[in-house]
Amino acid sequence: MSEVDMAVIKPEMMKSYIWLQTADGLIQQVEQEVAMFCPMICHEVIQKDMGSSKNYAISLPQRVNPAMLSLILDYCRFHQVPGRSNKERKSFDEKFIRMDTKRLCELTSAADSLQLKPLVDLTSRALARIIEGKSPEEIREIFHLPDDLTEEEKLEPLKNTTDDPRIRLLNRLYAKKRKELQERQKLKNIEVEEERVDDRSVDDLLSFINGDNGDSKGIKNSKSKKKNRRRKDQQKNTSANEAIKNHNKEPNGLNQVCHSAEVGQKVRAGVGATSNLHDVEDDIFDNKNEPDDGDIDDEIDPALKEKIDREVEDFARRLNSDWPERMQEILSFGHERKPVHFSLNGNGSLRRYANSEQR
Amino acid sequence: MEITKVLPDDCISLIISLTSPRDACRMALLSHAFNSIADSNAVWQMFLPLDYIHIISNSSSPPSLLSLPKKDLYFTLCYHPILSHNGDMFQLEKESGKKWYMVGARALSIQWVDTPRHWTWISLPDSRFCRVAKLKNVGRLEIKGKVKLNTLSSNTNYEAYFVFKLVRDRYGFRHTPVELDVSIEGTAAGEVRSVILDPPRNMPQQAKERVDGWLEIEMGEFFNGFENDRTVEFSLREDHDDQPKRGLIVQGIELRPKHKNNR
Repeated sequence: MSEVDMAVIKPEMMKSYIWLQTADGLIQQVEQEVAMFCPMICHEVIQKDMGSSKNYAISLPQRVNPAMLSLILDYCRFHQVPGRSNKERKSFDEKFIRMDTKRLCELTSAADSLQLKPLVDLTSRALARIIEGKSPEEIREIFHLPDDLTEEEKLEPLKNTTDDPRIRLLNRLYAKKRKELQERQKLKNIEVEEERVDDRSVDDLLSFINGDNGDSKGIKNSKSKKKNRRRKDQQKNTSANEAIKNHNKEPNGLNQVCHSAEVGQKVRAGVGATSNLHDVEDDIFDNKNEPDDGDIDDEIDPALKEKIDREVEDFARRLNSDWPERMQEILSFGHERKPVHFSLNGNGSLRRYANSEQR
Repeated sequence: MEITKVLPDDCISLIISLTSPRDACRMALLSHAFNSIADSNAVWQMFLPLDYIHIISNSSSPPSLLSLPKKDLYFTLCYHPILSHNGDMFQLEKESGKKWYMVGARALSIQWVDTPRHWTWISLPDSRFCRVAKLKNVGRLEIKGKVKLNTLSSNTNYEAYFVFKLVRDRYGFRHTPVELDVSIEGTAAGEVRSVILDPPRNMPQQAKERVDGWLEIEMGEFFNGFENDRTVEFSLREDHDDQPKRGLIVQGIELRPKHKNNR
């Protein structure tokens, strides 16, 4: 607080009150030194000369309802007393935050709107402790979150910065699953002509792709054009991947600086003036980043494709865990959690069993 | 009550940043709203070390790293160590974002290291550093290193490991122990450990084999508090028996946060 602020709350002054009004219209008066502990209220009093009477009550932000205000004022009333020891304050805080999660959230929100940072930190830490280590389902339940990421979004390919073969396999798995989802979607489409081979000119397709990326029909129609492009990219990626593989012997271990630097330079030279390492890494380490990753499988010699399919299914079986949420976590962190079964349906798609009993 | 309707995004970012990198990854799959918050720079910046900009700027890594999204930068730093200009190496520990640090042989004070008769610098493909020191012959062995505590993660217990190899043609380490010592300058010396680097097969081997094929032996541990301008010093010594020693290859000294449970 500035010197001016300090002048306002000298203890020798008569006990004065600040008038506050919550969004529901309720007006109350609060001891000055308590209310001024909140930066937002302090600002209103000092800068705008508000709060000195009922008519000039400070309008509090909407997120501060009377119940929350009461809690916040309790907090302020305790902490604004200068003589307290750290131990006392800590003890008070620990008791103070014992409330249900919903109230904790509301309190965080209210404290945030009043810019009362110490209380925001306190409640945020409490909430962080509540969600730490919990599974996505548990967190969704606690916070009443909708499970509104589509299957497709959950199947976004993972960044494979270490060329981990597991991540490559997983991305293939995802691609396959996405392809299946798309196919299912298309079957719902009444327009049958989408299934026919597309014989538009290359230019037509190119402009179609550029103009209409989000459309599933667009993706399907652009397949033939993208196939050619992808083939070239795939070959480029494969040879680059091979080069990288020879250098990175242990994808999970430490990388050798000299050799990675060498590879990095080759790659950089190859890509030209691209100074964005992110793009370079994406090109080299990611096999795919677009939804039509499944197209890659169409290019390959059928025998090889079958081998890859088998590999993918085998991998899926071995995975044996709660996917896709755990997948992100596992492959970013390499730590296996308690398994949950899933198996393959007859048509090769994966099905997940309910896992609540198996934890 | 849905939390995203109650709390503004920056409060949710704060809460996520107070959990762990692993939790943050998990939370990106909760819902649409959480997806963008949990992957945001606001969250991942909090997992990076405070001086990450300084570290990257003073290293051989491209400055374009700094323009990566913070989450990508975090994992890059976990999997790709950064070589700083003074020859030391930084890496992040994935689970906690704490720093791993390695002082390469070049940055250590090895007695007689620049005398070709005693030591030679060689290049090994499985080392993180371009050059490692190979012992040809000394009577007294002395290797020292020091690190400023403010380069490491604060409020962390660290363990120091001497990373080395022994070649087939070696002698002097089988029956004679070396003394290992870790202490913070200005404080009382910690315990000095006495270990045999090359015990015969029927004796317990105290050095452990690492993932990269090298051996490591724990030299000691220390706690890095919050305000620390001090330096921590390491030493490995054998200066009692004056017998010739040969065949030790030194990669460096690695510092890692201490964990109670071993993964």
